[in-house]
Amino acid sequence: MSESNGEITRREALARVAVLLGGVISAPTMAGVLDAATRRAWATAQGWAPRTLSPSQLELVAVMAEHIIPRTDTPGARAAGVHRFVDTLLSDHYPTAERDRFLAGLADVDARARSQQGKAFLACAPAQQITLLTELDEAAYPVSGAGAPPPETWFFRRMKELTLVGYYTSQVGAAQELHPSPFGAYRGDIPYTSVGRAWS
Amino acid sequence: MITYDAIVVGSGITGGWAAKELTEKGLRTLMIERGRDVVHRKDYITEHKPSWELPLRDARLSVGTKGAEEYPIQARTGQFRESNKHFFLKDAKNPYVEDKPFTWIQGDQVGCKSLIWGRQVYRWSDLDFEANLRDGHGVDWPIRYADIAPWYSYVERFIGVSGEKLGLAQLPDGEFQPPMEMNAGENLVKGGIERAFPDRHVTIGRVAILTQPLNGRLPCHYCGPCERGCSTGSYFSSQSSTLPAARATGRVTILPNSVAHSLIYDAAKNRVTGVRVVDVVTKQAREYEARVVFLCASTLATTRLLLSSTSPRFPNGLANSSGVLGHYLMDHHFLAGASGSIEGLLDHYYQGNRPNGIYIPRFRNLGDDASRRVDYVRGFGYQGGASRQSWGRGGGERGFGVELKRKLHDPGRWSMGMTGFGECLPREDNYVELSDKTDDFGIPLLKIHCTWGDNELAMRKDMAASAAEMLEAAGCKNVRTHDAYRGGGELGAEPGFAIHEMGTARMGRDPKTSVLNGYNQAHDVPNLFVTDGACMASTSCVNPSITYMALTARACDYALAELKRGTL
Repeated sequence: MSESNGEITRREALARVAVLLGGVISAPTMAGVLDAATRRAWATAQGWAPRTLSPSQLELVAVMAEHIIPRTDTPGARAAGVHRFVDTLLSDHYPTAERDRFLAGLADVDARARSQQGKAFLACAPAQQITLLTELDEAAYPVSGAGAPPPETWFFRRMKELTLVGYYTSQVGAAQELHPSPFGAYRGDIPYTSVGRAWS
Repeated sequence: MITYDAIVVGSGITGGWAAKELTEKGLRTLMIERGRDVVHRKDYITEHKPSWELPLRDARLSVGTKGAEEYPIQARTGQFRESNKHFFLKDAKNPYVEDKPFTWIQGDQVGCKSLIWGRQVYRWSDLDFEANLRDGHGVDWPIRYADIAPWYSYVERFIGVSGEKLGLAQLPDGEFQPPMEMNAGENLVKGGIERAFPDRHVTIGRVAILTQPLNGRLPCHYCGPCERGCSTGSYFSSQSSTLPAARATGRVTILPNSVAHSLIYDAAKNRVTGVRVVDVVTKQAREYEARVVFLCASTLATTRLLLSSTSPRFPNGLANSSGVLGHYLMDHHFLAGASGSIEGLLDHYYQGNRPNGIYIPRFRNLGDDASRRVDYVRGFGYQGGASRQSWGRGGGERGFGVELKRKLHDPGRWSMGMTGFGECLPREDNYVELSDKTDDFGIPLLKIHCTWGDNELAMRKDMAASAAEMLEAAGCKNVRTHDAYRGGGELGAEPGFAIHEMGTARMGRDPKTSVLNGYNQAHDVPNLFVTDGACMASTSCVNPSITYMALTARACDYALAELKRGTL
């Protein structure tokens, strides 16, 4: 995602606001929102590299995330950069204990692959990977009435949650797979068919 | 020594109002603010920023997470996130001591918490102003609804309030712009509740957010997160509203990065003559002189300033001959209610991020037999809303892959939730005092003692049970109650969480039992006024800010008249 792409989105959004408000949005307002300091603050860093995950852990996250939200007629989790988001969260947000628990969960996925398929998760065929993830998914979400999910299934639930957050808050997920609710008026009751997809 | 006509300590909701009123009436006014300057529009650095440009995707920064290291207290509130953390205090800059858990949420900038407040505004009624007299908790308010009603109107016309008139005695109507719409789920629940309980009402929240243009401010464009700042000035803040009005007079001087250290008191004249200020950056001390001083620093900061301003005449804190300064600390108790799912309406949706929810006005203990409770006094209102489940629901259900992605392309079922905001009784043993520690500026730290009492805890049970009862009556399924209060010192819904801290320099009729009179003027020191939440003698159950604003404007009007008469 380049800065200029984000800039167009904001301009479009502001233009839409201006139209909906009858063009009354003031020049200082536009200038205030789009001034140089703000644009600089919005710029994203170039030359990205993982800071917590090793290259193979990063790839493991990317592969699992893509299984959870795959490419269809819109890009999937990998193209949306979910693996990068996970590395950022682990580096800049998670307390150490929680980060280590997540990393242990990644190691456990590989251990399961080795014990069942005799090779690392990334070396398994996609169908074998999906079989492994299906086991993790079924353990993590017991059928209703079966009580709370066992604690050892924390990792897969967290992995799925991070994939959804990372995907649906990315530009791909929020503005291509889904759409953000447009600025302008609030309408409390519209036919769902007039939108046809969830707001991001 | 630099001399002004008036000094206002604080630049938030009440400080902004005091500066506007005093300067418009001709006084050269100095506004003192501990925090940095925040310039309207320019400093709203996350406004309209799409989620993917926030590295943590606007994560809630909870206690113990990276990103919240400098905010161990502020991070307790659910409002604290990646996109707005720069409008909260770094706790080391103004620490305090908790005897029992009390969460003190603070702004640290020009505009203070007016930038991040909840914007819900409801008038008090005589049910509230007469409550202390009627049940004997606290002291009688020195004012009644008729005293403040014109000032509510004055404030509403300036700040802009959207809402629906209901004609209820316990929640007086105001001067409203057109209300925001309710959504289909809320309308369904409203119909069910009002059919089952004819004495209860579901309405859209009354908010200080414009639905029509006002004084160069634009109506809300429904981008959603107001607390990032609003360049169109669509919600009331000091930046959007009162500070521009004060500046337009040419008579205001705003002094950011300046801590009010103590008030200067002249015993011979029995007047406050000025304020000692310490520059946050250089640590240099200065003194400013004025004929009248308004304390609008926020409830606890104002009381701390009074407590630490001692003299032979007032050894226990300025204007504290009564000894009640610091006592009768209150907050609303909330986070008890219920939620449930709504069946059907899958062909209904909404558009726009409405920064508002629904409101259910108080229906308990209204003075008649039908609404009387035997297990507690006073009452509560509910805030809540309905929405369709978003993509987040996928994290709680089995399934992944193409099927999950297809499912999350559509919104999920409707759900509805509500939480009560309950009145808190004034109790002497909920209090603040000065500790033996001092901060970087030599000012003693506050030590806070505050817990919920039996009345609050009994009311919470009804807050949860009545919410569930109404949702079930409205046909909701899977109705579940919640109550975040854990007790035993565990954080959940301890005092402070509602960020409606009130009291500690209360108004009253008797100088022996109160600090301020009916015009927010110190009984002991005529040219000293306190108009922030510290002045409150009880809490009502409605959000307090508009009452602070009305009291401030009224006190400024009184102060000007007294200055002209020569009594100050």
